[in-house]
Amino acid sequence: MKTLDDEALVQSFEERLRTHARRPGATSASVARTRVLARLPEASRPVPWMRLAAAAALVVVLIVAVWLGSPRPAGERTAGQTLAFAPALGPNVVTWVIDSRTTVYFVLSRDGSETRGVS
Amino acid sequence: MSVETTTADLVHAALAGSRDAFGSLVESHWDRLVRLARSVVGDAEAEDVVQDSLVVAWTRLAGLSDPQRFGAWASRIVFRRCLRANRRQRGRVALDAIPEPSQARDPEAALSAWQVLARLAPRQRAVLHLTAVEGMTDAEIAPVLGITPASVRAHRRRARAAVARIVRGGGS
Repeated sequence: MKTLDDEALVQSFEERLRTHARRPGATSASVARTRVLARLPEASRPVPWMRLAAAAALVVVLIVAVWLGSPRPAGERTAGQTLAFAPALGPNVVTWVIDSRTTVYFVLSRDGSETRGVS
Repeated sequence: MSVETTTADLVHAALAGSRDAFGSLVESHWDRLVRLARSVVGDAEAEDVVQDSLVVAWTRLAGLSDPQRFGAWASRIVFRRCLRANRRQRGRVALDAIPEPSQARDPEAALSAWQVLARLAPRQRAVLHLTAVEGMTDAEIAPVLGITPASVRAHRRRARAAVARIVRGGGS
């Protein structure tokens, strides 16, 4: 039995590995070319994830565009428009615009009585 | 014109739809890719794995960022498909290929290169192959296997220790 140290054993193995790997293959490169070309689909395509990402981005853009372009319900106004159309208010009235259709008025008074209203 | 420039030109032509250009890429890289696959999955499946990998490479060619690195990129596809093939054949190789080391009078001579490789992890096989057969550096091997150069060194160190143990008859 040989008494080689580990390094020599590994070097010897790597030499056998080179011989093993470099044996001629069963299929030559030219034959392989023909076989691979026969299996190719029609055209080289972008990777599927790129197409999926592009499709997802397009869907998002369409949803945002539709939402921005859709008509608002009749009578719906922004908070700024609501205030612009609000009646003239006294200095002791606090206005709280909850949404385009709901505005809460607080009327502050010194005698403790308080008037509230919801438009 | 350098080899790299030619490879890049062929990749660009293939991207433009030239099957002939892709055929030239197949022809020039076939032997090297088959050598890698042999060392990772063995002779029986190596050529099928490489053929499948090259068909995949054609469909994903648009994703190749640096056309000059077609060889490394294709090697990575081959390696990944070798891993897949290994998962399918797990258990079969070891039973078919490995004799009892203790029965051999000269263990080094008794074990073929593949019988030793079959006892290693697939990444260890690939690292040993790319180092010993292809003469690649750690920085070149790393992107092929999808690991860092430091991991390449670690795999090689463990692979060589395992090889010494297997050849001595100690098993893996």
